[in-house]
Amino acid sequence: MDLDIAEFALNHALKLGAKYADARLETTATNEFILKNGVPHMAGFERVQGLGVRVNASGCFGFASTNELEKEKIRQMVEKAMKITSAACRIGEPADMSEEPVETADYVVKQRINFEDLSPKDKLNVLFEVEKAIASTKVDVPGRFFSMADFYTEKYFINSEGTKILSKIPRYDFWYFITINDKGKTAQRYWQYGGAGGFENLTAHNFPEILKNEVMKTDEALRKGITPPKEKIDVVVGPQVTGIMVHESVGHPYEADRVMGREAAQAGETFIKQDMLKTKIGSYAVNVFDDPTLEESFGYYLYDDDGVKARKRHLIKNGAINEFLHNRNTAAAMGTKSNGASRASSFNREAVVRMANTYVAPGEQSEEELIEGVKHGIFMKNFMEWNIDDKRLNAKYTGAESYIINNGKLGDYVLAPVIEISTPALWSSVDATAKNMEYHSGTCGKAEPMQAIPVWFGGPSMRIRNISLSNKK
Amino acid sequence: MNPDKETIAKSLLDKFVKAGADDVIININHDNSSQIKFANSKIATTQDWTTAKADIFLAVNKHLVMTTIKDFSEKAVYDAVSRIMKFANASTPNEDYNGIAEGPFTYRNIPETFDPKVANLGETSVDLTESAINAAAEHGSKRSAGVFESSTSSSYLITTNNAEAADKSTKLYFSFRAFVDDYASGHRVCNSRVLSKFKPERIAVEAAEIARQSINPASGEVGVYDVLFEPLPFSNLLAQIGEASSIFNVESHLSCLAGKLNSKIADSSVTITDDGTLANGFGSGKFDAEGVPTQKNTVIDKGILKTYLHNTSTARKHSTKTTANAGLISPTPFNIVFNNGKLNKEEIISGIKKGLIVTNVWYTRFQNYATGDFSTIPRDGLFLVENGKVSGAVKELRISDNLLNILKNVVAIGNKPEQVFGWEVEMPVITPPVLVKDIHFTKSVA
Repeated sequence: MDLDIAEFALNHALKLGAKYADARLETTATNEFILKNGVPHMAGFERVQGLGVRVNASGCFGFASTNELEKEKIRQMVEKAMKITSAACRIGEPADMSEEPVETADYVVKQRINFEDLSPKDKLNVLFEVEKAIASTKVDVPGRFFSMADFYTEKYFINSEGTKILSKIPRYDFWYFITINDKGKTAQRYWQYGGAGGFENLTAHNFPEILKNEVMKTDEALRKGITPPKEKIDVVVGPQVTGIMVHESVGHPYEADRVMGREAAQAGETFIKQDMLKTKIGSYAVNVFDDPTLEESFGYYLYDDDGVKARKRHLIKNGAINEFLHNRNTAAAMGTKSNGASRASSFNREAVVRMANTYVAPGEQSEEELIEGVKHGIFMKNFMEWNIDDKRLNAKYTGAESYIINNGKLGDYVLAPVIEISTPALWSSVDATAKNMEYHSGTCGKAEPMQAIPVWFGGPSMRIRNISLSNKK
Repeated sequence: MNPDKETIAKSLLDKFVKAGADDVIININHDNSSQIKFANSKIATTQDWTTAKADIFLAVNKHLVMTTIKDFSEKAVYDAVSRIMKFANASTPNEDYNGIAEGPFTYRNIPETFDPKVANLGETSVDLTESAINAAAEHGSKRSAGVFESSTSSSYLITTNNAEAADKSTKLYFSFRAFVDDYASGHRVCNSRVLSKFKPERIAVEAAEIARQSINPASGEVGVYDVLFEPLPFSNLLAQIGEASSIFNVESHLSCLAGKLNSKIADSSVTITDDGTLANGFGSGKFDAEGVPTQKNTVIDKGILKTYLHNTSTARKHSTKTTANAGLISPTPFNIVFNNGKLNKEEIISGIKKGLIVTNVWYTRFQNYATGDFSTIPRDGLFLVENGKVSGAVKELRISDNLLNILKNVVAIGNKPEQVFGWEVEMPVITPPVLVKDIHFTKSVA
């Protein structure tokens, strides 16, 4: 990358009167493969390079980007950004930034087996191995859709305060979607695995074994599953379900820009208000963190897209709301410091408040011990359908592989049990978390235009006491 | 189109052919888009994006590669050709691949898809945004949020099978959500390719009206209701039908339309087309991704599923003709259009005994794409109708139902269609309000 281009853009913005400016020069090289029902449908690659510039003109912020990196084009882009931002400030919301240290850093995530050293055939072979493993189960799986991608992002961030951050992060992403058929009845499952690192991190997951197990369990559940209980019961959820619950009903509502209404027309708002900090939202057993610095994670970074050093955030502390996720704008508005949660999906998107790797902290017991503590209930190991309202107050999670619990032991499969629950009720009903930590991968959506960013979400199995399942009539 | 881009495309095509490629499609695009994002009735930020790129599709002995290049210097192009051919030869063949369309083709202009006034909009977008925010405030909105977007793009496509085409496009998009309080909100969008049909102020006022009517919502009751879907939420569901009509999704078991060709899947009053030639259609364009002139396809005709959407390769595999919906990997709709009815909204409401009016939904997710089992969450104004009259606003309900049931249970169709495209509806849809009977609603039980 020609780093001087970023300096040129920044200096031009300052020359035009910007009170603050930053520039993100970014190159992402991607390779992607799709295998559908045993046939490779696509091999694709691209190298995207471009520059995004944020300016503060007349007290308001504006953003512009281009992938045409000639100096004249950049000059034009910066001038246009300054002009429209100043014009819009007539009815704009002047914004400040929290005071943060000037940072200088250069960091790289190393790959033992570099994705670039592998041929397209080597990568497609990962998907063919999964296809073979499914065939070995002899289960009828008419729909088999797998995709795999590797990305290498080089990013150079500079701002007018002197911060300079250069990062190089390789990531991988594996996704499957399967349809199981039993005499005309079908069940479906999908899941995603991603992280930061080399090919060795990807293969460490052992996808053939994961898919083989998934196919056999989904098939058995489809054939043998019984109707979920109607009375109030205890529910133990596995780490995948814990992960989606914590992402949707803790991570998102604790994004400070939602609290302030900045996403109101798109990704929505939140039932959480600024004055709810330090108030009780769950049981004492609930501790939730978001940590971008987890090594090998999908949401890994050491400095955010405001140039702020990343740190672990303690969102819920012993059941009380402890802190929000902030960028420099929201931190200034709430009179605090940024905790490094500013992320953009690409050079051509504005950085907004985002999660990185959100998880429920583990407890002392094993998953088996949580189950042993249930007289009558269900164990929802994973899920398929889910959603939550745009205040993050009412959510639905429909189980995939799920079991009855009778006197502390797993019994029959249960077909599609549905938890529909409010956020305070959910976290107040958790009485224990296990120690079987797992992190799962997702592509989180927010902002307009939509910005899909890699995250982990996870935690251990959790026990939720005395709740009712679906009320569909 | 800049002639330099044509020269680059032709040079690229020539280089790939000389390097041994069988089929090549080069599509060079230039796009400039601007956005004003507002929240709490103030502009939160402005954004401007410029992108120039060449999308390349290439087949060598059924080895398929797709890529995008952004650097058109001689050295970069030379490197790209070499790398793409190497990548293609090192990949695995797709035995389902059956080639691209044979040109040349004749293209016709589609009315109202380019407007120089949009291309030169400049700071007028700030004035239009301000007028809309003020108009909503005058109609009771306490705060508003949304985006104003405008874009101008041009494209030039050339293929080894003699297709050569150029198009230019303008688009306007306005999304406006008005709030009276935390639980009283209304959301409307408008989309147009030309400035004369773009009415941001009007939809801002309509959003404010919905918000005002939503004050003090009661907790909704679980049960089965007849539902009048406004165009915004019904577009969300119709976009799922659009996705399900792609043969790629049918083959992937991601479609509830699989195995139902020529079967009755909807009420006889339902006709759904995909029309890439629609005047002022948000997704309209002269040609698809392999250069075939766009056309109007009837997907569901009076309740009968008539076709899936194809490109040339998938059509040959299924012994049919392309519907001009390439997507080179997955065929995709341009504008999903639900047929117009004869009733106005008041006439429809007067016929509802126990029902709900849904003005917006979000977060539509499927338990099973093959069966169509899904749920989605109404947001913004949700109104209870009893004995033909709106009796109040309700909140916190969830639609938990089945997509095919919804098509079968259509009982009345409005006469005022709207075009919808936006954050939750990523495929352009044109639909009037539609009444669907017997929809299941659930809610949190704790």
